[in-house]
Amino acid sequence: MPSAQGNPASIVIAGIGVAAGRSYGKQALRDVLFGEAPAISPLRRDGRQLPDGTSSFIGLELPDPPELLPARIARTAGLPGRAAIAVLDEAWREAGLEALDPARIGLVVGGSNLMAREQMLAQRDYAGRMAYWPPRHGHMFLDTDIAGLCASAFPIRGFTMSVGGASASGAVAVIQAAEAVRSGRVDACIALGALQDVSCLDLQGFQALGALAEVCRPFDRDHAGFVYGESTAALVLCRADIATEVPYGTLAGWAHLASGNRGPEPSMEGELAAIRASLAMAGLPPEDIEYVNAHATGTPLGDATELAALRAAGLDHARINATKSLIGHGLASAGAVELAATLIQMRDGRLHPTRHLDNPQDPAMGFVRGAPEERTIRTALKLSFGFGGVDTALVIREGA
Amino acid sequence: MDSDAILSIIISQIRIVVPDLADHPIGRADAMADLGLDSIERSEIVLATLEELGLDIPMVQLHGPRNIGELADLLHAKRAG
Repeated sequence: MPSAQGNPASIVIAGIGVAAGRSYGKQALRDVLFGEAPAISPLRRDGRQLPDGTSSFIGLELPDPPELLPARIARTAGLPGRAAIAVLDEAWREAGLEALDPARIGLVVGGSNLMAREQMLAQRDYAGRMAYWPPRHGHMFLDTDIAGLCASAFPIRGFTMSVGGASASGAVAVIQAAEAVRSGRVDACIALGALQDVSCLDLQGFQALGALAEVCRPFDRDHAGFVYGESTAALVLCRADIATEVPYGTLAGWAHLASGNRGPEPSMEGELAAIRASLAMAGLPPEDIEYVNAHATGTPLGDATELAALRAAGLDHARINATKSLIGHGLASAGAVELAATLIQMRDGRLHPTRHLDNPQDPAMGFVRGAPEERTIRTALKLSFGFGGVDTALVIREGA
Repeated sequence: MDSDAILSIIISQIRIVVPDLADHPIGRADAMADLGLDSIERSEIVLATLEELGLDIPMVQLHGPRNIGELADLLHAKRAG
């Protein structure tokens, strides 16, 4: 219910750091959203090819992160940690967090089992000589190691934690950060959608599930699955009165519900319930939502279920696009990276096309395809779903 | 391999784990803790040195040395013994 004092804890997004598509930084993401071809190729990082050569995988890999850490720390940090520092640095500067009391800044890292590839490589490298296993492996396999690394490099002393929500982890991190600010626990909280450093075993698992494709075509009649894409984003959420610059927008509503499914199967009821709960929290009827950044992995059942939920929620009129068609699926990072893409589109007044959407599953829906579309967006809905029945929805309003 | 050769291995491992010490003179009398190495880094260096020496002995047997010269002497003795 609206508070008699108005909303004392209006929560805005005051800073964004991101790495997706081709490189690091918001401009690199813009370039891919609005024209530059995605760098899709066979995955080359060590540990992403099956050792017996029977499978190779297609996807997007980022360049090595900028070297912001001392070499002594960087050598023990791993790819997800070094990438986290890069995007956190970008978001931190933009939000002006150095002006805040470190005790009033929190950090939520979204994602679990983030270091799978490095663990697999270490296991391979130390096979037959486990007596010499370096002791850092006793702590760096934990997802909280990334949170600790960030707090050792930046003055974050409010709290740190990691949260898991499969492919919705980034959105779950945003929600936990928003709750921490709303409760008064901290004044600002960073939500990090962590880079999920998958190994060939993870990729082979997705392959076995039938979830991987060579081309990601969300909402297309010829879609077959997703393409993995390395990505990560840090978003600074804070109370509106803390923000020093014009914020990207207000996080007006959110929902994080369980559909009761254990496995990868989506739930129309769960997704619809999350959409409705987020709109109710924002105090907005569905007809006020102008744009939906869909979860849209490109898997036939997932896409069809999401469209059914959008129709049932009364969102047939909204413009819809699928960022995964351009930057791939970052798994843990996706919800945060795609929220960053949503906010960048709102700031720029243009929507990116959904790549490879040539034969829409439902031509009546408002898909953005072909070319970018100039459009002022005042309200947006970001959906993220995860295996294990994790359904999230975020409502974003322009301004503070 | 004499104790000085073992000392060289220890010093080269220190410089891998702490690249900042690449140009810092390191000698027998230096203790890893005084060089600013934390306990995890110290263990990593000792394990890597043991591997280079082909030694597989419990870490608990390596407590006692007050500096890397004494550590080199102890490892030399273990290797001989």
